[in-house]
Amino acid sequence: MKYMILLYGSQRDYDVLSGRATDRPVMSAEQIAAMHQHMETFHQALAESGELVDARGLSEPVHARRVRVREGAPVVTDGPYPETQEVLAGYTIVECASFDRATEIAAGLVDPDAPGAYVDVRPVLDSVEDLGG
Amino acid sequence: MPHAPVEDLLRTLAPQVLGALVRRYGHFDTAEDAVQEALIAAVDGWPRDGVPDNPRGWLITVASRRLTDLLRREQARRRREDTVARWVLPEQWRAPAADGPPPDADDTLVLLFLCCHPALSPASQIALTLRAVGGLSTAEVARAFLVPEATMTRRISRGKQRIRDSGLRFAPPTDAERADRLAAVLHVLYLVFTEGYARTAGPGLLRADLTAEAIRLTRLTHRLLPDDPEVTGLLALMLLTDARAPARLGPHGELVPMAEQDRTRWRADQIAEGIALITGALPGGAVGPYQLQAAIAAVHDEAPSAAATDWPQITALYEVLRGMSDNPVVALNHAVAVAMSRGAPAGLTLLADLADDPRLADDPRLPAARAHLWELVGERVAAREAYRMAASRSTNLAQQRYLNARADRLADDPPADG
Repeated sequence: MKYMILLYGSQRDYDVLSGRATDRPVMSAEQIAAMHQHMETFHQALAESGELVDARGLSEPVHARRVRVREGAPVVTDGPYPETQEVLAGYTIVECASFDRATEIAAGLVDPDAPGAYVDVRPVLDSVEDLGG
Repeated sequence: MPHAPVEDLLRTLAPQVLGALVRRYGHFDTAEDAVQEALIAAVDGWPRDGVPDNPRGWLITVASRRLTDLLRREQARRRREDTVARWVLPEQWRAPAADGPPPDADDTLVLLFLCCHPALSPASQIALTLRAVGGLSTAEVARAFLVPEATMTRRISRGKQRIRDSGLRFAPPTDAERADRLAAVLHVLYLVFTEGYARTAGPGLLRADLTAEAIRLTRLTHRLLPDDPEVTGLLALMLLTDARAPARLGPHGELVPMAEQDRTRWRADQIAEGIALITGALPGGAVGPYQLQAAIAAVHDEAPSAAATDWPQITALYEVLRGMSDNPVVALNHAVAVAMSRGAPAGLTLLADLADDPRLADDPRLPAARAHLWELVGERVAAREAYRMAASRSTNLAQQRYLNARADRLADDPPADG
C-alpha cells in the first residue's frame, strides 16, 4: 500500500525558514542545518528500507496559481492564499506494509519543538475503482 | 558602459538568470525588476567580497528571493484593495500551435524574441532588449539615448505591461512565425547600432557604447543561430561599418566623408572578420538585405583607396537590394553608386526621380547627395544651395558643420573664376 504524508505550512512558516523578518523569531543557521540533517537521515533510512517512493517540498505559497474555468475560459488567480493560511508545503510518499507503519513513519516528520504541529497521512488509492470503497 | 570583468560576467548572466526565473515562476515584468536588483547587489558585493563559486546560482537565488518579496507586496496590496490578480488564460496558450510545439531554445534567445515582439513599440523593444538581454540599468540605457531616466523607465514599464496584457509567453516562436519574429529581432539590433553610429541629436557624432552593445548582442545572436545567413550578414555589416569609425571623425570632431578618410586607421581585424563572415554566409542560400549591405560595406573596406573602389560591383549589389524593398534610402545610395560607376549625370537623373518621395521630404541625405554630384559636374550654385538645404534638415551638429563647410567652400570660390 502507498500512503501520502502531507506537511503543511503558511507563508509565515516559510518566512521563519528563510530568515525573513516577521513577528516570529527566525530560525538560526544551526537550526536550519539540523533540520536539513534530520530530513536527509530520515529519508535515507526510508530509501534503505525500500519504503520511500517520493518526497518533495513545494515552493512558497506566494508562487501558487489557482485555475478556474469561467464561461469556458480558464481564469488564473495569482497568489490565492492569505499569508497566514496553512497550505500543502510538501509531501512524502511511502510504500509500506500497513497504515500503522505509515503512521509511525509520519510521526518522524512532525516537528517535536512546535506545539500543535501535525502532518496528515492518507492512503493512496491503487485505481479509480477503489473510490467506490 | 563599464567593462570590468565582474560587469562583463554579470551582463552575460543577466538574460540566463531572468530566463531561469521566468520559466520557473512566470511574472516576466516583476522577475525583470528582481533580476535588476540582484545585478545591483552583485555589482556592489562581488568586487568587495569576491565572485561566488557559482555566480549564476547566486544570482538566481538572490533574484528569486527578491521576486518573492515583490510578489508578496503586490499581492498584499491587491488584497487590501480587493483587486485579486485574476487573468484569463490567453487563447494562444490553450490551442496547441498547428505546427507542433516549438523546439527548445536558449533562454537568452527566447528573451530576445520576447523583448523584440512586434506587439511592442520600437522604443519599448529597444529599451527592453538593452535592459533584459543586455543587462544594462535603466540609467545606462537612458544615458545612451540621451533621454531622462524617468522617460526610459516609462518606456520599459510600458513594454512590460504590454507583454503582460498581451499574454505573451516565455517560449520561442513557432515555425510559422519564426521568420517574421527573427526579422523583428534583427531590426531592433540594427536600430541600436545605427543609433550609436550616427546619433540623431546632440553635439558629438559617435556613440561607441551603443555600437559596441549592438555588436555584442548581435554576436550573441550569431552564436545562438550560427546557420542563419541574415544574422551573420547583420553581424558582418556592423563590423565592416564600425571598422571605419576611427577615421570617421577629424581632430576637431568633424565628420570626414569616406572618400577622404585615412584608410590606414580603419580597423583591419574587424574588416577581416566581417569579410570572413559575409564570405561564408553568401553562398548559404537565401540572400537577404543585411547580407547585401554587408557585401557592399566589404567592397568599400577592401578598396585600398577611394579611387580604387569597385563601384560597378557596388552598383550591382544595390540593384539587387532595390529589387527586395521599396526603400528610398536604398534607391538614393543606388543612385550615388550609379553616379560613381557611370558618371554623375546618370546619378543625378536617378536622384531627380526621388525628389518627390514624401519619405525623404525631411531627410538631409537627398540634398546632400545631389549637392555632391552637382559639385562634381560643376553646378556650383545648385550644389551650394543643396548643401545648405541638407544642413538645415540635419539634426546632427557634426553633419551640419560638414555640410555648411562644403557650401562655404563653394561660396568662397566665386563661379567667375571657374
